[in-house]
Amino acid sequence: MNTQESSNSGPSHKVVEIGVALAVVVFGLIVLLGSISAGIGWGSEGPRAGFFPFYIGLSIVISGAVNLWNAMRPDAPGGIFAEWGQLRQVLLVVIPATIYAVAVGYIGIYVSSAIFIAWFMRWLGKYGWPTVASVAIGMPLIVYFVFEKWFLVALPKGPIEQWLNL
Amino acid sequence: MEEFTNLFHGFAVTLQPFNIMVMVIGIVLGILIGVLPGLGGANGVAILLPLTFSMSPTSAIIMLTCIYWGALFGGAITSILFNIPGEPWSVATTFDGHPMAQQGKAGEALTAAFTSSFIGALFAVIMITLVAPLVASFALRFGPAEKFAVYFLAFCSFVGLSKEPPFKTIASMMIGFALAAVGLDAITGQLRLTFGFTELLNGFDFLIAVIGLFGIGEILLTMEEGLNFRGGKAKIDLKVVLRTWMSLPRYWMTSLRSCIIASAAGWASRLPAPHRPRS
Repeated sequence: MNTQESSNSGPSHKVVEIGVALAVVVFGLIVLLGSISAGIGWGSEGPRAGFFPFYIGLSIVISGAVNLWNAMRPDAPGGIFAEWGQLRQVLLVVIPATIYAVAVGYIGIYVSSAIFIAWFMRWLGKYGWPTVASVAIGMPLIVYFVFEKWFLVALPKGPIEQWLNL
Repeated sequence: MEEFTNLFHGFAVTLQPFNIMVMVIGIVLGILIGVLPGLGGANGVAILLPLTFSMSPTSAIIMLTCIYWGALFGGAITSILFNIPGEPWSVATTFDGHPMAQQGKAGEALTAAFTSSFIGALFAVIMITLVAPLVASFALRFGPAEKFAVYFLAFCSFVGLSKEPPFKTIASMMIGFALAAVGLDAITGQLRLTFGFTELLNGFDFLIAVIGLFGIGEILLTMEEGLNFRGGKAKIDLKVVLRTWMSLPRYWMTSLRSCIIASAAGWASRLPAPHRPRS
C-alpha cells in the first residue's frame, strides 16, 4: 500500500536474527528456572516434575546460543528483514489485536468483537457505516447463537451480558 | 470368508435409502462443526447425540460416524482456503492445500482432500475387519520404548526435512515441548512452569497454539504484503471434481503409502490424533 514512502530501509536481517535468538535463550532460561523450582532430580517415585522440562530448557538455551553465534558471524546473510512501511502495516493489526485479546477478559468477547470488527472495517477497510454496523453487531450475535445456544460452548462474558442476564 | 460376508452385509445395511439420508445430514452437520475452530469431531458427536435418540441404533451409529467424518473434512476446508486449520489433524493439509488454493486450484485441493479421506477411511474399515484380531495382539506389545522410538523418528525427520538450519528447528521443537510441559505433571501430580498463574493449570491447548501460529501469522503476512486478507476462492463444480478424480489414480503410490503409514501409526499408539505428550 504505502511502500514508496520508505522503500529499502528497515531493520537488518542480522539484528532480527540476534533478537530472536536472544528471546529464545531468555525463554529457555525461564523454563530452566521453572523446572528447578519444581525439582529436577529423582524422587522416591521416579523423576520429579521438573526432570523432563529441565532438559528441554537446557536444549532451548543451547540451540538459542548456537543460533545467536551463527547470526553474529560475519558471513551471516545480510539484507533487510522487512521495510518500515511493511512493519507498520503489521503493527496496525498486532496492536489492536493485542488490545482486543486483553479486552476480552474484561468486557467479554461479544462487545469487544463488535468494537474490533467495526474499527477494522471502518478504519482499514473504509466501508460505509451501515455495512460496518450490520457486520459488527450481526457477527457477535451469530457467534452468540451458534456457540452459546446451539453448541453450548460458554464464551467469556462481561458486565453488559451480566446486566442483560444472558 | 466370514469377515467378508459380515462386511458386505454391513455395506448393504448402510446403503438403505433412510441411512443414506441420515448420512447426508450427518456429513453436513459434521462439516459445519469442522469449520468452526475448537469444535472437534468428538465434541460434535457429543453435542449432536440427542438428534439420534429417536433413531434405530444402526442409523444412529451411522449418523454419528458421518458427523465425525464430516468434521474431519470441515477442518480441511479452512486449512485449504484460509491456511487456518480448523482441527488439529488438518494442520498438515495447510502445507500443500493452501498453496494450491493460492494458485487458484482450491477446487482441486478440496476434491483431493475429501477423496483421500474417503479412500483412507475405506482402507481403514477393510483393514480393521480383516486384520483387527491380528493387530490387537501386536498393539498390546507396543510399550513406552516403542512409542519413544516412533516419536524420536518423527522429531529427527523434522530436523532432516527442514530447509532451515538444524538448530533453529531444534529450538522451535523444544519450545513446543516446553509449552506442552506446562501444567500438571502426570506422574507426580505436581504443578510445573505455571509460575503461579491458575490459567496455566491445564497447560497450553494445542489447537490454540496452532490457530495463533498459522492463522494470525497468515493475516500478518498478508498485511505485510499490503494486501487485504483474502481466503482462497473455491469454485467447485462437477467438472473440477471429475478432472481431479481423473488425475488422482496417478498418485496411487502416495495414497497407498499414506494408508499404510496411517494404519501402522493408528495401531501403534493412536498417533494421528494429536495429544499433548505429558513427559
